[in-house]
Amino acid sequence: MGIQIIVCIKSIIANGLNGQVVRSSDSRELNPYDRPVLEVALRIREELGGTITALSMGPEPCAFTLNEAMAMGVDRGVLLCDPALAGADTLATSNALAAAIKKLAPFDLVLFGTRAADSDTGQVGPQTAVLLDLPLVTGAHSVEPKDDGLIVERSADGFLECFEVCFPAGLTILSSANQPRDVGLLGIQLAFEERDVKNWNLADLDLSADRVGEAGSATNVLALSRMESVRKCEFLSGSAVEQVDALINRLSASGMI
Amino acid sequence: MDTFLSEKKRTIRRSVRTFCQREIQPIAKEIDQEASFPWEVVEKMGKLGYFGIQVPKALGGAGLDTVDYIIVIEEISRASAGLGLCVTVHNSVAVYPLLAFGSEEQKQKWVPPLAKGEKIGAFCLTEPNAGSDASAIEASAIRTNNHYLVNANKVFVTNGGVADVCLIFSRTDPNAGRKGISVIVVERGTPGFVVGDLEDLCGVRANPVSSIRLYDCQVPLANLLGKEGMGLRIGLAALDIGRIGIAAQAVGIAQAALGEAVRYAKQRYQFGVPISKHQAISMMVADMATKVDAARLMVYRAAVLRDKGKSFSQASAMAKLFASETSSEVTDLAVQIHGGYGYSKSYPVERYYRDARVTRIYEGTSEIHRMVIARGVLGD
Ligand SMILES: Cc1cc2nc3c(=O)[nH]c(=O)nc-3n(C[C@H](O)[C@H](O)[C@H](O)COP(=O)(O)OP(=O)(O)OC[C@H]3O[C@@H](n4cnc5c(N)ncnc54)[C@H](O)[C@@H]3O)c2cc1C
Repeated sequence: MGIQIIVCIKSIIANGLNGQVVRSSDSRELNPYDRPVLEVALRIREELGGTITALSMGPEPCAFTLNEAMAMGVDRGVLLCDPALAGADTLATSNALAAAIKKLAPFDLVLFGTRAADSDTGQVGPQTAVLLDLPLVTGAHSVEPKDDGLIVERSADGFLECFEVCFPAGLTILSSANQPRDVGLLGIQLAFEERDVKNWNLADLDLSADRVGEAGSATNVLALSRMESVRKCEFLSGSAVEQVDALINRLSASGMI
Repeated sequence: MDTFLSEKKRTIRRSVRTFCQREIQPIAKEIDQEASFPWEVVEKMGKLGYFGIQVPKALGGAGLDTVDYIIVIEEISRASAGLGLCVTVHNSVAVYPLLAFGSEEQKQKWVPPLAKGEKIGAFCLTEPNAGSDASAIEASAIRTNNHYLVNANKVFVTNGGVADVCLIFSRTDPNAGRKGISVIVVERGTPGFVVGDLEDLCGVRANPVSSIRLYDCQVPLANLLGKEGMGLRIGLAALDIGRIGIAAQAVGIAQAALGEAVRYAKQRYQFGVPISKHQAISMMVADMATKVDAARLMVYRAAVLRDKGKSFSQASAMAKLFASETSSEVTDLAVQIHGGYGYSKSYPVERYYRDARVTRIYEGTSEIHRMVIARGVLGD
């Protein structure tokens, strides 16, 4: 038996050329901040037994992200892949993920990261949990199985919060939660040759097209451009003592010390 | 290069690169300087399957193909050529012959612990009087009723200081010339098995290359690999694959040197501009990048031919020759681009320069490779 865990992961744009977003499998990789989330799932499964499903939304070339999760030890992968899903903001993404998670029910635990290396909103986890009516702890840095649930820790405003969480529940996990395991060669071989990734399209999700993709998005990115960061170098003059004094004055005037 | 490789192969490259950057790169200088073998990292590599890359899953390996194998070797060598050497020699010339020529019992006995990196393998052919001319070996294995009595003086054994399972090329028939050579598998700990001093090498210093001497070692008859007299055939078959690995090692070293050279050329200002803006430097970089790419493609081609079951001996010899000579040239230019700093141990390029040098020597010198290739081309 054990517990049923769903981990939502993202394939990110790793190296946009000259600020242009080129969507090809060459420029994609598993969001590095999702690896610690997968690690949490794997450690929970080691203690409680069960099944881990990795869930991702994205175009077909993202399927390998799920293979990579399976190489770490995840049992199965589901890719939400449909032209209608393209151009989704975080709300439309959450709609699609929530529909898929319902379809994957029964489940005990849904895990998310807190951020993505290519667009750092942190919204998808909480929004999806709301859509599923799922109790959620955000920004967890420690998750330990206990009896029929979990002990989850997060830090907030200088305090350590400790929750006893029973299933079903959702968690967003900080990327600093652990050092994710390395992927072994046999794991990769099995993930690509033997374990299968299912593709679900819009019809599988039982959602109307106006709730997903660009059509279902509440926000719209108008423009994307690289920000110029200006760095300048200044030399302080005078004796060493005068230079150090000047430096201290400046640093304290700017609030850095 | 990217579109060239499948998603699976790119995942392999990414995962090995990530591991090497985190675990090997930070210690690469130290293990070179101190000539120390980093057991802790080697154990981790064993758990990740790096010691049984092409070993079938049923025998504890990862069951991957030759292209996967060279991807792994290139990445490890990019971080530490000494460790790259350890892994390539173990996989190709030590484990492969056991898989290809071993009996079922031999495979079951030796391969699983080797594939997991719990034991380390070595290939012991070279002797003081037999280098390029392997048929001149003097080691002997005299068959008695129930064992071979083995006497050998093997030198320049890669992994020698740490090897558990050694393929000893020895004469089972002193009168049969090339046909009298056989491979006897000898395990460390057998009475009479002595590991000599480690070589104080110019490069690949993290590898415990040493001599191994066998004094009247009694080895079970069951440790004969293949049949008596098959030794040179086994050796040559192993070296065909080993050379692809050494070529990949050479590419890894060259790639590391190219990366450092590019970084430095953009940072170092002379005459008011980054030195990369001086045409002499930028042309060097262009040649380096082109040659590294060409070498890598030759290595891939040899590997693909092998994976397709085609004859790959000539392609493997050409890849080894070109990649090793390229590696020497590229690392030399990387030192040049660094100027005086390139000659200092404060920068890694002097290490790459030393490491690259040996790829033109072991598993067949460049001269021997040219002879072999010429014979193939000329049909002599
Ligand atoms: C770091 C290191 C690790 C090694 N690891 C191993 C190992 O694991 N197992 C193993 O068995 N060996 C190993 N070797 C040995 C290596 O394979 C030999 O050094 C190599 O084959 C050359 O042999 P040699 O050193 O005796 O040189 P020689 O054969 O004496 O060659 C000297 C020179 O003569 C040239 N030459 C020789 N014959 C000819 C010819 N017919 N025509 C033209 N030129 C010729 C050579 O190219 C070379 O330039 C290792 C060597 C090193 C340095």
